Amino acid sequence: MKTLLNILLVSSLAFAAGAKEIKLLNVSYDPTRELYAEYNAAFAKYWQANNKDGDTVTISQSHGGSGKQAQAVVNGLEADVVTLALAYDIDAISQQARLLPADWQKRLPNNSTPYTSTIVFLVRAGNPKGITNWNDVVKKDVKVVVANPKTSGGARWAYLAAWAYALEANHHDEAKAKEFITQLYKNVPVLDSGARGSTVTFAQREIGDVLLAWENEAHLALKEFGADKFEIVTPSISILAEPPVAVVDKNAKRHGTTEVAKAYLDYLSSDEGQEIAGKNFYRPRSEKAAAKYAGNFAQLKLVTIDGEFGGWAKAQKTHFADGGVFDQIFQP
Amino acid sequence: MKLKQLLVAVLLGSQIALPVCGADDATIAALKQQIDDLAQKVRVLERKRENDQDAATTVAKAQPKISLGASGFNFSSADSNFIAQLHGVVQFDSRSFFGDNGANGNDGFLLRRARPIFSGTLFHDFDYNFTPDFGGSTVQISDAWVNYRYQPALQLQAGKFKSPVGLEHLVSDRDLSFNERSLATDLVPNRDLGLALKGELYNGAASYTLGVFNGASDYNGTTTNQSFQDDKAFAGRIFFQPWKNSDLSGLRGLGFGVGGSYQANHPATNAATGLTPGFTTDGQQKFFTYASGVNASGAAWRVSPQAYYYYGPLGLLAEYVISDQQVKKAATSVDLQNTAWEVSGSWVLTGEDAAYTGVTPLHPFSPRNHQWGAWQVVARYAALDVDNKAFVGGVFADPTKSGSGAQAWSLGLNWYLNKNLRANLSYSHTTFDGYKGAAAGIAQQPEQVLFSRLQLAF
Repeated sequence: MKTLLNILLVSSLAFAAGAKEIKLLNVSYDPTRELYAEYNAAFAKYWQANNKDGDTVTISQSHGGSGKQAQAVVNGLEADVVTLALAYDIDAISQQARLLPADWQKRLPNNSTPYTSTIVFLVRAGNPKGITNWNDVVKKDVKVVVANPKTSGGARWAYLAAWAYALEANHHDEAKAKEFITQLYKNVPVLDSGARGSTVTFAQREIGDVLLAWENEAHLALKEFGADKFEIVTPSISILAEPPVAVVDKNAKRHGTTEVAKAYLDYLSSDEGQEIAGKNFYRPRSEKAAAKYAGNFAQLKLVTIDGEFGGWAKAQKTHFADGGVFDQIFQP
Repeated sequence: MKLKQLLVAVLLGSQIALPVCGADDATIAALKQQIDDLAQKVRVLERKRENDQDAATTVAKAQPKISLGASGFNFSSADSNFIAQLHGVVQFDSRSFFGDNGANGNDGFLLRRARPIFSGTLFHDFDYNFTPDFGGSTVQISDAWVNYRYQPALQLQAGKFKSPVGLEHLVSDRDLSFNERSLATDLVPNRDLGLALKGELYNGAASYTLGVFNGASDYNGTTTNQSFQDDKAFAGRIFFQPWKNSDLSGLRGLGFGVGGSYQANHPATNAATGLTPGFTTDGQQKFFTYASGVNASGAAWRVSPQAYYYYGPLGLLAEYVISDQQVKKAATSVDLQNTAWEVSGSWVLTGEDAAYTGVTPLHPFSPRNHQWGAWQVVARYAALDVDNKAFVGGVFADPTKSGSGAQAWSLGLNWYLNKNLRANLSYSHTTFDGYKGAAAGIAQQPEQVLFSRLQLAF
């Protein structure tokens, strides 16, 4: 019996030795495909060169509307890390599935948001409808393309940016802001489930006059479809969108990927990670990368979710929960 | 598409309606605007349809999946985290004994196994199995266990399941080469109640099981919830298939390992002897039993080196078992070391690959299509030797009632009609040593049995 145990132990140790091939799943929101395609390759190279065992890592991506993605993780999609559009969606994973602690956002610098973005307008070349600010997108003859805020993080940021403008323009009159947002969504002919779907609707299907887009998505559309076809219009006011990242502790622990998952997110704040973020039109946190890519980003007034809306929990409950303002003003 | 056609019709209609002499710029602009608006509406409708189709696809993906086929009935949640399966195995046998010198063999038909198998998965990581058996004279719980899969390399199983010692014993009942397991399996423990840590390493190139059990006597047909000793049995097995994932096709099917068990103390009790009720032949007749009043007393251990080799249609399986048991009768005790071994071989005649997990016909039986299923010939030799100390003075075993050894050879032909139906025909010849009893005794003359089986398994 002792011999048998020894054989078992020695064999287990022998098999445990040697470089491993680690697999990570990053569940992200819609427009980050290009960012993480580039970042994943860079991180895999970095990890192989810098871990003592010579392990390799392969990162798989899953993309979709941020809210839908969060729900998929709650329902069992085994994400090692999540990089979603807004903190509320990661809070949902923490609260509903208890896969990571409630204070997850304190674990990384800048509230676990290694890059930021905002909402801008993408209009057709020549700006035929003369759209320059939020008050133009509620005009009756303007068709607006934006995703469904029930499922898309970007759409929630866009909704709140419009709301912030309406409050400012109407001396913080909530009723007027509601009228404004009602008119805006009357102008929306198609509600896609995610931001990338909205870009397809606007750019490829040629629907609408203006796309309420992530800043990075708007720049990407110019790059992909041609700067001669679209223009970016920066409104007078928008919102500081902070897409956060987190390790999904329980999944990573079960997969034995905790160490590499943490390193994966830490590396987003490295010089190379910030460089890749800036290159893909996300606003880098590091001063160095921010200075390098400053020319890509217009200066505008940005309200914050905490300052203007009292945080995501309150904003979600007021505007996007079942029976909230959006349900009241939008009739499909 | 219909909307597009409508749009074209409107466009043409508008053109025709225009006076040949030409319209003013304002009219043309208005018509152009109208066309643009209509085109926009068409695009919006088409996009909505795309989105609806995407949504429908997403909803369909979230629906539970039901399937019914050769692998039984499967009901699965959309994410496969919850699975319920219904399988089953029914074996209808016949046994015909020849030249038994008037001894009462068990000639006739029997329902050897009749087992519905309820199995599945809960919360992705927890597998379960519940298998009652209606095949014997009483209904038994054959298997009832839960297995937690933390990782393939680390799993914890609890309940009633096969003790991890004998190689042939661990072959699924539906995939046995012969109707009955060999004499070698007489010396390994059967299903037992306990806990086992197990796992597969290197994509199955190595596997291990290490468990603690109530402790079962040498193989016998029944196990119960009752345990009559405080000391539990430890049983384990390690098995290697080093070339399983390699390109060396000639070595891919080679596996070898060792199984064993140990129980520190097996006290004699009034409730149970702690010993096997007897060693049985291929024909399931007892050729050896301990004498009345003999109990297990003290340590018991087993060790079983084992190997198999499968390459194309060829299958080979061999194992050797030592079962060491301290026994006691009144004030006399002795350490008995019984041994057994077997070698079996098989050859699939119709081109399929042989495997430890059975044969799957390439061409399921269908006379209309001139398909005849898979055919396999099988052969086996096995021997069991009871320690001679058992017979000294007739204290622990009575030579007028029991044989001290048995050797059996068997030949058979298996017909796999399809994945679910199988028919077997085999002949087994067993000779005995050391029997000094009456002519009518089981071990007085060789046992010659013709077996047949019709098996339904799904």
